[in-house]
Amino acid sequence: MEPEQKFVTIRKGLLEFLILKIISADKVYVADMMKLLAETDFATQEGTLYPLLSKMRREQLVDYEWRESDSGPPRKYYKLTAKGRSQLAEFKNYWEYLTTTIDKLGR
Amino acid sequence: MNTVIIVNLNGNAFHIEESGHVSLRAYLDGAGAQLRDNPDKGEIMADLEQAIADKCAHHLRPHKNVLTAAEIDGVIKEMGPVQSDGDDTRPAADVPPRPSHAGGGSTAPRRLYQIREGAMLSGVCTGIAAYLNVDVTVIRIAFVVLALLTGGLWIIAYLVMMLVIPFAHTDEERAAATGAPFNAQEVIDRAKKHYSQFKNDREWRQHWRQQRREWRRRWHEGAYWWGHNLQRNVQQFSVHTSYFSQVFAGLMIPLFALLSIVMFGLFIAALVTLTTTGAIFGVSLAASMPLWVAAMLLCLVYGLIASPLHHVRRAIYMQRGGYHQAWFAAWDGLFSVGLIAVIGWFAYTHVPQVHAFSQHFPENIQTMWNNVVESFHHAVAAKPHEIT
Repeated sequence: MEPEQKFVTIRKGLLEFLILKIISADKVYVADMMKLLAETDFATQEGTLYPLLSKMRREQLVDYEWRESDSGPPRKYYKLTAKGRSQLAEFKNYWEYLTTTIDKLGR
Repeated sequence: MNTVIIVNLNGNAFHIEESGHVSLRAYLDGAGAQLRDNPDKGEIMADLEQAIADKCAHHLRPHKNVLTAAEIDGVIKEMGPVQSDGDDTRPAADVPPRPSHAGGGSTAPRRLYQIREGAMLSGVCTGIAAYLNVDVTVIRIAFVVLALLTGGLWIIAYLVMMLVIPFAHTDEERAAATGAPFNAQEVIDRAKKHYSQFKNDREWRQHWRQQRREWRRRWHEGAYWWGHNLQRNVQQFSVHTSYFSQVFAGLMIPLFALLSIVMFGLFIAALVTLTTTGAIFGVSLAASMPLWVAAMLLCLVYGLIASPLHHVRRAIYMQRGGYHQAWFAAWDGLFSVGLIAVIGWFAYTHVPQVHAFSQHFPENIQTMWNNVVESFHHAVAAKPHEIT
């Protein structure tokens, strides 16, 4: 397995937490999330994002509200639920634990 | 000639070429199959259709209301494969690392839009600022300066821009206006501002009415004060004029007239070379700067230099001329005309380019104008069809 392929697997698992982190700042619209992610290695597409968001909503990590837009149909703005916020905090702690563990082991 | 099929994407009608329709149908069917067991299938499908509709609207213009098969393929590629929530093995980041979705890639051409978010009046300045990637304050100051220099003519130009430049409605268009994705803080600020503006609409209108009344009052007062002072100053100076200062004025007038005319000549020459060859005196423009922007900047720079010169000239004979103002004005005018005639004749006989240009004067003017207009049309996206 090439290194890049291994990284892909790692990124895949992290995407959900990145989305939690993005939403934690403010209520966001899907296109905005994609713009933020597009600049990173976590670039993603609607085909991935919408199903993932609906899964996260089913797990009650996020919720959305409809808001009017200047033109066109109303849009969904996503926000974190209490459960989503605590899961994000857990993730941050775990991430710190992981990086310190990696630093400590070996050279 | 291709058959066109009308499709309904989450409540928006689109005309699509038949083969494009086939691939779109295949994509949506595939998505439906992927989400077969997903309890939120209906909702996700609606979200996907809406995202496709947004992307499709981006390809439409007033005189182009059909989406080609190639455009549909592009939209499908931007959407990416649909995966049911994470249990499948396709990696999430299995797309080109920097997809050019939302027209935001560096290769995507920027388009000029009016942007309502953060606008003071209509969004012309915010749109131009996004288009040129400079701070909106710079553009606003430039506009105010231009309005002052052109004696208000620029306000008409502004009104025209307000009517001509389309608004960025969708996220696609907003991304095309900036040419680059927004950063996190901007996205958040925008969402907040949008919301509070919406709430305060009524308050804002009331505020605006008061503001206008205040402006009118100040304008009347200012105009009176200005006229009164000017009159007094002129009287004062006419008392104090000496023989020496009159001679000085007589000598300075030709000097400033010469300066102004040389500036004007340089300006015209620069404008002609810019609009015909795309370079100013052989110095070509930065690739990112469109012709019409360069032409406007050139006019602005000329205005900034020429206007003080003009005022100095007037001030010389208004203030030092005393009772002989009219003579000085006449001397200035005659000298300028003479100078223009001499310089013009010299250029016509000794500079082959000028000679050649004047041979086909109307056609050349037409070409220059067309070049500028073309670069502007290139920048201004025609308004996409309203989604109903």
